[in-house]
Amino acid sequence: MRRREKIKDTLTCYLFIAPALLFFTLFIGGAILVNLFVLSFTRYNILNPPQFIGFQNFSDFFRDPMSGKIFYNTVKYAVILLTVHLIIGLLLALGVFGEKNKKLRYFYRTAIYFPSIVSTASVAIAWAYMYDKDYGVINYFLQKIGIINEGIPWLTSTKWSIPAVAIFSIWKFVGNNFLYYLVGLQNIPTSCYEAALIDGATPLQIFRYIILPLLTPTIFFVSTILLIGTMQMFDEPYLITHGGPGDSSRTIALYIYEKAFRYYDMGYASTIASVLFILLLILTILQFVMQKKWVIYEYE
Amino acid sequence: MSMNKKTKMVSSSINKERVKRIIFEFVMLCVAAYMLIPLLWIFSTSLRDPKDSFKLPPSFFPTSFKISNYKRVFIDVPFLHFLINSFTVSASLTILQLIICSLASFAFARLDFRGKNIIFMFILSGLMIPAQSTIIPVFLLIRYLRLTDTLWALILPGLTNPLGIFLMRQFMLTIPRSYDEAAYIDGASKFDVYLRVILPMSKPSVIVVALITFISSWNDFFRPLIFLNTYEKMTLPLGLTVLQGYMGTGNLSVILAGVTLSLIPTLILYLLTHDYIMKGMILSGLKA
Repeated sequence: MRRREKIKDTLTCYLFIAPALLFFTLFIGGAILVNLFVLSFTRYNILNPPQFIGFQNFSDFFRDPMSGKIFYNTVKYAVILLTVHLIIGLLLALGVFGEKNKKLRYFYRTAIYFPSIVSTASVAIAWAYMYDKDYGVINYFLQKIGIINEGIPWLTSTKWSIPAVAIFSIWKFVGNNFLYYLVGLQNIPTSCYEAALIDGATPLQIFRYIILPLLTPTIFFVSTILLIGTMQMFDEPYLITHGGPGDSSRTIALYIYEKAFRYYDMGYASTIASVLFILLLILTILQFVMQKKWVIYEYE
Repeated sequence: MSMNKKTKMVSSSINKERVKRIIFEFVMLCVAAYMLIPLLWIFSTSLRDPKDSFKLPPSFFPTSFKISNYKRVFIDVPFLHFLINSFTVSASLTILQLIICSLASFAFARLDFRGKNIIFMFILSGLMIPAQSTIIPVFLLIRYLRLTDTLWALILPGLTNPLGIFLMRQFMLTIPRSYDEAAYIDGASKFDVYLRVILPMSKPSVIVVALITFISSWNDFFRPLIFLNTYEKMTLPLGLTVLQGYMGTGNLSVILAGVTLSLIPTLILYLLTHDYIMKGMILSGLKA
C-alpha cells in the first residue's frame, strides 16, 4: 500500500516534467545526438534515403578549402565582437549608472536597450541601405563632417566589411549586455564603495579595486552568452554582407544553411554542424575552467 | 588672503566638476544619437515619396508625409498575413511554452524525485547547443510530420526553453517552503500547489520569460527562412526580406514603411513592460 503510494507520488512528479522533457528530447537533446552520431556519417540529399558513408564527410571537411575560411571568419568575428561588446557594454552601463538625473537615465537606458529587442532582419535591411557607398547615410555624414573625402566601400571591400558588421552589431545587440551589466552594478551594495569614497579614493580606483572584482560574475555571464551568440552568427552575414565580399564574411552558420538548404547536402552540412557544436562545447568548458582563475563569487 | 585663496580653489574645483559633467553628458548624448538616428532615419524615409528615397541630404525628422507608402505595404504584399502569422506564432508559442516550462520549473524547484538533478542538467545543457547544430534533424522531423510550411513548424521546436526553465526555477527556489507545506496540510494536491501557490508568486519571473520568448519569436529569422515557402504563411522578418527582393531598391520608402510597422509592436511591448524587464532580471538572480 505505502509502496504503491510512493510509486504514484513519483509518477505525478514525472508528469510535471514530461511535456518539457518530451519536446526537449525531440527538438534539442535528441536532435543534437541524431546530428552528431547519425546524420554526420551519411550522404543524404532528401530525395534518396540516407546512405551510411563512415567518416567520409569528415575527411571531406578537412579537404574542403572553404572549411578553413569559414572557421577563420567565425572565430575572427567572434573574437572582435566579443571584445568590443564586453568593453562597450560595460562603459555604457557605467555611464548610465553614473547619470544622476533620473529622466536622462531613463532616456539613455531606453535608447541603448531598444534596438536589442527589435528584429535583426528588419533593421539589417535598413542598415544595408545606410552602408551604401554612394547614397548611404553613413558616408554622407562622414563626408559632411569632413572625416573622409570619398565614400567608404563598407560592404564591398574586405577591409571595411568587418567594421561595418561590428558597428551594426554594437548598435543592435549591445543593449542586452549593457542591461546585464547595469543589473550587475545595481546589485553591488552601496556600502561596498561608500567607505572608500569617504577615504578619498578616486572614481578610477573604486572602479578598479571594488566594482570590477565584484562585477566578474556578470562579466563571465555576459562573455559566455556572447561566445555562444557570436559563434552562430547568421542574420548579419546573410542579410547585410551576403557572405561577401568574396567569402570574407561567410560564417559557419551561413555555410551550414547554404549546404543543407540550398544544395540539399544534408549529410555534409550535419558534419559541419557537429564540428561547430564540438568547438563550442570545448570553448564553453574552457571558459568554465578558466573562470576559477578570475571570477570572484564571495561578497565582502 | 588665505580665505580668498580657499574660495578660489573651491570655485575652480566646482568649475572642473561642471566641465567633467558637460563632457560626460555630451558623450552620453552622442551614444543616444547613435542608437536613435538609424531609427529616426528609417521612420522619416518611410514617409518620403518613393522616388526621393535616396535623395540626399537624408532626413531624420519627417519632411514629407507619404502615408500611401504604408497603404502600399498592405496592398502590394500580404503584409496583413505576415502580421497575423507573426502574432499567431509568438502568442501561441509564448503561452504553450510558459505552461510546459513552468510545470517543469515547479517540479525542479519544489518536488523531490529520483533523477531530478540529472534531468535538470540534461535540459540545461541545451543552453549551449547552437540552433544550426540541431536544425537539420529538426527539419527532417518536421518534414516527416508533414508540418513544413505551417506555423506549427515554428511553434513545436520552441516549446521547451531551457533558459526559461532555469530562470523560473531559480525564482521558485527563493519562495519559502512553508507556503507549500501549509497548502499540503490543508489537503492540496501537487498541482494545486503549483497552480494556486507557487505560480502566482512567481509572476515576475514568468513575465520576464514571456517577454524574452515573445520578442525572440517575433524577431526570429532563421527558422522561418528554413520552414516557410509560401508567401501567405511567412512571418514579418522573413516577409520583409521578400518584400525587399520584390520591390527592388527603387522603392526604399515602401520597404522602410514595412520595417517601421514591424517595429511598432515591439516598441509598444517595451513601453508596457520595461519596468518588469529590469526588476524581473534582478529578481531572477540574473546577476549570474
